[in-house]
Amino acid sequence: MAEIRIDLEKCMGSGNCSYWAPGSFDLDDDGKVLVRDPATDEESRLVMAAEGCPVGAISIWHGERRIDQGAP
Amino acid sequence: MAFESLGGNDMAAQREAINGILPFDPNELKDTVSGNIVNPYPRYEELRRESPVHVGAVDFGEGASDLNPDVPLPITVVGFDETVAVLRDNGLYSSCVYEIVTEAVMGRTILQMDEPEHREHRALVSPTFRSKVLARWEEELVRGIVDDLIDSFIDKGHVDLVQAITFNFPVQVIARILGLPQQDYPSFQRWAIELNSVAANWERGMAASAALRDYFAAVLDERRKNPADDLISELVHVELDGQRLDDEEIYSFLRLLLPAGVETTYRASGNLLFGLLTHPDQLNAVREDRSLIPQAFEESLRWEPPVAVVLRRAMESTELAGVPIEGGADVALMLGGANRDHRKYENPDEFNIFRKERQHVGFGFGVHVCMGMHLARMETRIALEAILDRLDDLKLDPAPGQDIRIEGLAFRSPVSLPVSFTAR
Repeated sequence: MAEIRIDLEKCMGSGNCSYWAPGSFDLDDDGKVLVRDPATDEESRLVMAAEGCPVGAISIWHGERRIDQGAP
Repeated sequence: MAFESLGGNDMAAQREAINGILPFDPNELKDTVSGNIVNPYPRYEELRRESPVHVGAVDFGEGASDLNPDVPLPITVVGFDETVAVLRDNGLYSSCVYEIVTEAVMGRTILQMDEPEHREHRALVSPTFRSKVLARWEEELVRGIVDDLIDSFIDKGHVDLVQAITFNFPVQVIARILGLPQQDYPSFQRWAIELNSVAANWERGMAASAALRDYFAAVLDERRKNPADDLISELVHVELDGQRLDDEEIYSFLRLLLPAGVETTYRASGNLLFGLLTHPDQLNAVREDRSLIPQAFEESLRWEPPVAVVLRRAMESTELAGVPIEGGADVALMLGGANRDHRKYENPDEFNIFRKERQHVGFGFGVHVCMGMHLARMETRIALEAILDRLDDLKLDPAPGQDIRIEGLAFRSPVSLPVSFTAR
């Protein structure tokens, strides 16, 4: 089961993550990312969301192994 | 321009003047596509195979332009990872490079700002462009606009999709969201495109900038008296550090957002239609299964990004892909080169909506990533749905000898897309 880690300091609120994995990501009222339910999106979508984050604020992990490439 | 003599405040007179201007043909503005380059990609690939980063501007065979010996040599980037690295490192690679051209025509905008100023200013307008906020416009606005445009030619069996649809719907959508009277769109559309192409024609761009300022002045007055549900009403009331924006700051925002909304989606939706029309099997697949539209749009943004060049300035001496960059050097990121990087994509020159999904830089990347990306995705999807719902047997139908193609260097799109169809 994939785990989503967020660096809120980096988050710029582009909302691109919620485009790629709409069940897992949302924006709060301040425009910062909110993690919803990662089980609703396929793992490949989580990886697209992480790699599509313009500022690299999202990473996807299997235990201690990172499965996205950190950048597109 | 008919407008300059009118002074800024008489809205009724301005309306009348504007309404006298007829809608125009995108062909008239052909010279705005700075450099009518049809296929820059083989040159990008050739360069990339030597090195993803080059000292000097790209030479498309017209001979290198004269370089100013007093400034550091410019840098050209044609690799994907290198483009992402520059766009992510916004401390080292500054957006201040946009001061030169865009500040003159737009005023000081978020395009040229670095952090933290950029973040603070972008936050004033970004909520308007969040996908949830935009959802209300899908049926209420976008579909209606596109359906009206289709109604105007549905009986004819033949149409130029650029002239009839892609050139006309984004401007009407952004007008409504900003709060500009939709019926004025033929005039502010022209100014918006002329402003964006100031590099191709300086005087015309500056005149368009002045005309837009006068036009916005009247709208601002109106919104101060009668606030409505639109972005201009927000901007006249919003506060930054306890201070309202002054009028010049608001004009700057609008001179950025209007052209951004007018021109980019017009080009992006044209490029998507071009990709599908030149690959009829993929057009049919999308027709059969509309859930393919989002991936088709992402693929078209990868294959032919409408804004194809982004600039930065190196703030200190550094190195990228082993190439030394002098502090103060301008860095040109060829997004089209990045998006077809053979090290990242298989058969990068092929338009293939079924390719394994990979990210692209068609919306840029980093903190300046396109603020309108959700709007562009939504309105292009709705427009394509309307086209597929109402036009059967859609195929390219050029006049004898007419070459249908995407062209341009900094901005790219097809100038026309003549098609035949059967009305449903």
